[in-house]
Amino acid sequence: MSDWTLCIDFGTAYSKAAVAPTGAWSRFDPASVRPLMLSADGQNTFLLDSAVFVDEDRVLFGRAALNEADAQADNKRAALRSFKTLLSVSDLDRALNTNAPATIDPHRVFQMRDLIVLYLAYLLASIERAITADPILAQGGRFSRRYAAPAWRSGDSAGMHDVIVRLFGEAEAFRTAVGKRLLSPDGLSLRAISEALPKAMERAEALEMGLIFEATAAAAYTSVGLEGSGSHMIVVDMGAGTTDIAALARLGPRTIELPEARVTLKQAGDFIDRVIANRVLESAKWAKRQDERTELWSVLMRQMGDIKEAVMADGRATLRNQGRSITLSFRDMEKDEDFREFEKSLRQAYDHALAVVRDDARARGRSDVQAIAVGGGASTPFIQALIRRKMESTRPRVIPRPATPDWAHAREFRGNLAPVFAQLAIAIGGALAPDSMLAARSGISPPANDRSGIPVERD
Amino acid sequence: MSAGDKKSKSKKSAARKRAAQGVSLTDALAEAAWSEADAALAQALADFDEADTADGKAARKDAMARLGQALSRAGRKRGLARVGELDEEVDFDAEAYDLNAAVAKTPKTVRIQARGVTRGGEMLAKPRVAPVDRNKRS
Repeated sequence: MSDWTLCIDFGTAYSKAAVAPTGAWSRFDPASVRPLMLSADGQNTFLLDSAVFVDEDRVLFGRAALNEADAQADNKRAALRSFKTLLSVSDLDRALNTNAPATIDPHRVFQMRDLIVLYLAYLLASIERAITADPILAQGGRFSRRYAAPAWRSGDSAGMHDVIVRLFGEAEAFRTAVGKRLLSPDGLSLRAISEALPKAMERAEALEMGLIFEATAAAAYTSVGLEGSGSHMIVVDMGAGTTDIAALARLGPRTIELPEARVTLKQAGDFIDRVIANRVLESAKWAKRQDERTELWSVLMRQMGDIKEAVMADGRATLRNQGRSITLSFRDMEKDEDFREFEKSLRQAYDHALAVVRDDARARGRSDVQAIAVGGGASTPFIQALIRRKMESTRPRVIPRPATPDWAHAREFRGNLAPVFAQLAIAIGGALAPDSMLAARSGISPPANDRSGIPVERD
Repeated sequence: MSAGDKKSKSKKSAARKRAAQGVSLTDALAEAAWSEADAALAQALADFDEADTADGKAARKDAMARLGQALSRAGRKRGLARVGELDEEVDFDAEAYDLNAAVAKTPKTVRIQARGVTRGGEMLAKPRVAPVDRNKRS
């Protein structure tokens, strides 16, 4: 039995991790949740940039990788990002064995697998550092580990899990071999990598880790304290690339997904960005020349996060370009045919998934279904309106849950967890979830601070 | 040595110093929560100056719209939420509202002049209200 549960959320832009005492879901105390301070740079220390940059003679990770990629952007050099997208492809082995493109690896020595293993080693080293720096976690104890992943990958989830724990195993072996050098802001020399990586990969063993689906992690942080009533859930996850709807049912000690409810729409945050940008360009009659339109487009894309947030939360956004003010309202967006079509598809998908989960709840004599919105679009009014649909219908009744759970406002956090909760939600939910919610399991790893049997670090 | 290298060497970030000092979880959460709010507040200060010095109604209206937008964003980044609707008529409750007028007699119905602000169920600023002017009602 472990003392702590660690969950890694290997995100597209950032990686996050959180720890909770084992069994926290049933005996919940908000103060026991420990998001990990993974990053030594930047103001948000909980977010570790998911990036690797192959330089002339070394490899950089995280924020340093992005800074260097920016500095060398004119030379057609780029950092490797969005590993998560790569890990979602159906033929994962083939994708991992592909050579990295020249923009990412000018030396042409790395396969995608190598770069992912290097990043995971950096992530594991950052986790180790964060645990050591945490006054409670540093006291020791046994940690069980798990990672969060989308449930709706096109391939076989269990097969994917074997590949991913193998990657983590290789990363752990490499981290052990190179030690703290991984965390140097100067990165790691190509020489050190070429000496240590092949050996580490050879002797690596799959890391003992569980897999939790992101929707289940969301269900876990939402349903804390709802053991009796939170048996059935519908989860709407609007991210950047896709909007996914999933239904979950907790049956005794197990949580299962109801696969017939699952729907993935290819429109999500990025699609909304394009709708907004197109509406603004359409209304900016003064921007006639191509260069004016191109400049306006790049201004829009740079400020899109703020513009989208204002349109969604306040109903309108005002921006400035070349001394002119442009205002876009949510009503303007609703005039867009593609957006209306998306809203319609979303409602149909939600209603379909809701019917499936309600049927299951009814058949099992349950009285309610919890509706949860997660991801970057969770707070948008039309997603919030979606999870309030059919609330008045007959039993099982639908209970919409807030995007940020009430417990995130607990006094212990002095008002500081709720504002950043959305960013850390999946890692926290994954750490809180009982083993019965895992999609795949494995054993317990040694305590994070137990180095017995591990070669001494060579710095 | 490349530009990025120099940058990373010269930059001993505040976050790293705090990590070395064993910063508390709550403080780190506060810093993370404030980092984006700071940018929005800085924007709001600049927008305020523009609104204050604007020539003409239209320019002032634009600047005020951007000021409101930046303040809303700062509020959201700190987990603040508005309560009530502007111009909404409600039954007066001294516990729930701040009366924004000197009155001889406690009003029964009031109009919301400024929305309240809450965070996680805690009321940080009550909605400001004024007695409904019956003569102005249609």
